[in-house]
Amino acid sequence: MKLLTHNMLTSHVKGVTKGYPLLIKATEVKVNEVEFNPQFVSRMIPKLEWSALVQAADELGHRQDLPVELVPEYEKNEEFLKKVHRVLLEVEVIEGCLRCPESGREFPISRGIPNMLLNDDEV
Amino acid sequence: MNMMEEAASQLERDHVHSVYDKIAPYFNDSRYKAWPKVQQFLLDLQPGSIVADIGCGNGKYLHINKEVFKMGCDVCRPLVDFAWSQGHEVQMCDGLHLPYRDGCFDAVLSIAVIHHLSTKERRIRAIKEMARTLRVGGRIMIYVWAMEQKRRKFEKQDIFVPWNPNPQSPTHREPAKPRKRATAQSVSEAIGNADKHRKVRSTSSVADEEELTTPHCTTPQQSTQRLWFFSRSLDSVFDFGSLSISRSSSRDLSTLSSPAGENERNKSSHWGRGRGLIKQVSSFFSPTSVIGSEEDVFDSVTNLHKGQNAPGGNNNGPENQSVSVSLAQECGSLALPDLVPFQKEHLKQSSDESEGGLQGKEQHESTKSSQGSERQVEGSCLRYYHVFREGELAELIENHVDELLVKHTYFDHANWCVVAEKVQICKI
Repeated sequence: MKLLTHNMLTSHVKGVTKGYPLLIKATEVKVNEVEFNPQFVSRMIPKLEWSALVQAADELGHRQDLPVELVPEYEKNEEFLKKVHRVLLEVEVIEGCLRCPESGREFPISRGIPNMLLNDDEV
Repeated sequence: MNMMEEAASQLERDHVHSVYDKIAPYFNDSRYKAWPKVQQFLLDLQPGSIVADIGCGNGKYLHINKEVFKMGCDVCRPLVDFAWSQGHEVQMCDGLHLPYRDGCFDAVLSIAVIHHLSTKERRIRAIKEMARTLRVGGRIMIYVWAMEQKRRKFEKQDIFVPWNPNPQSPTHREPAKPRKRATAQSVSEAIGNADKHRKVRSTSSVADEEELTTPHCTTPQQSTQRLWFFSRSLDSVFDFGSLSISRSSSRDLSTLSSPAGENERNKSSHWGRGRGLIKQVSSFFSPTSVIGSEEDVFDSVTNLHKGQNAPGGNNNGPENQSVSVSLAQECGSLALPDLVPFQKEHLKQSSDESEGGLQGKEQHESTKSSQGSERQVEGSCLRYYHVFREGELAELIENHVDELLVKHTYFDHANWCVVAEKVQICKI
């Protein structure tokens, strides 16, 4: 699971209103090399919940010097875009779980795949 | 969960999820078809878009257009695993409960998925869920099997389709490839490879299966691909006011346990399990094949009911329901008799009209086939489909999903297709 994906995921347990962002507990993290496309990253940024990204990167110990707030005019700031690229697309959770911040319910991640299936009593 | 939900859920577990779990290994050999229009939809997206393929299966659309970020989800673990091995971002989830925040996608795909949902209400919910995750202005493309096919029309909308692996190559699987992630080169390489190796048999359309067969073929396996079983829709089963049974030839009930001895106590557990809620099945034959007496097996349901059924009107107390449900369960768990191919034309239908009364317009021609032949078609490899009439999908959206505006509808390779746009709803 990449952090770009994580940024879209939310807890959908019945009754939960504040299920985002999911807290990450990772037992296995990989960092891959992914082709850098600055335009792609630049266009992704407005679609992100920025603080959720920073928090997630932090939880994985991969935040490095990603700023708490978006820098202005990031579109042209290649250095910044590279940092974002790394965190969004290169860091990957292979094993662990995603925890609903409200209910505490844990969704396992195994072999890179989060299992977001709910039980009958959670729907 | 109410009874209908429970039944629908169970039906889909038995005749969608568990079947795909079983047949997943076969998805990665033989011919693959990326519907060109789906491909074009993806290619037309703005660079930097985020797209979700809901019900992505083995991820066959996830490699298209590397300028956009794609993710997929499915309930089938083996298929999702395969998609991951190809380098895609995928999750396990079910279409009625999507784990994505509101408005986070620029586009959504639903290709040959919602026809596996067994009630109208669930199909609407699935569409609404996908609409929820779309941003305003974003677009969704939905493909569902059409009732109206090239060479024939399905007689009914709720059907069970047997699965038969390609007789030539059941294990033509490619050897497990190393994951296609991780290196700069591999992003494009993965895409290149995916195109080359993507020989997945698309089972998302009857047309594909048709193309595998030739008229007047005699190979059992090929001909059995042309068989479908019909069922009442769960929507009509639960419409208590209109339960009616068709008249069909009678059949000895020795293979079925009689429900007469079952007591009320079992009723709730039957509802709870809800297995194989096939109220009635009739069969439709292609010119080259015929189903043996499977229909008769299910006719027993109707015969037992006959005495209890008052024509028309609301005639069913809970007792009748439990009788028919428990019978249906027995039917559902029976291995169906073998499907024996015939050269000559046979046509067998029994229909049930929901307008009450015992109408049937079947012509039952006796066949030579019999139960208990060696090759058994597992009842458990029947996939449930609700095939759509022309206009049905668009209507569903227009009448029940205010947040989507239908932009295009068309027919493509035996599917009805809709492209719709998410619109802002002004609540006054």
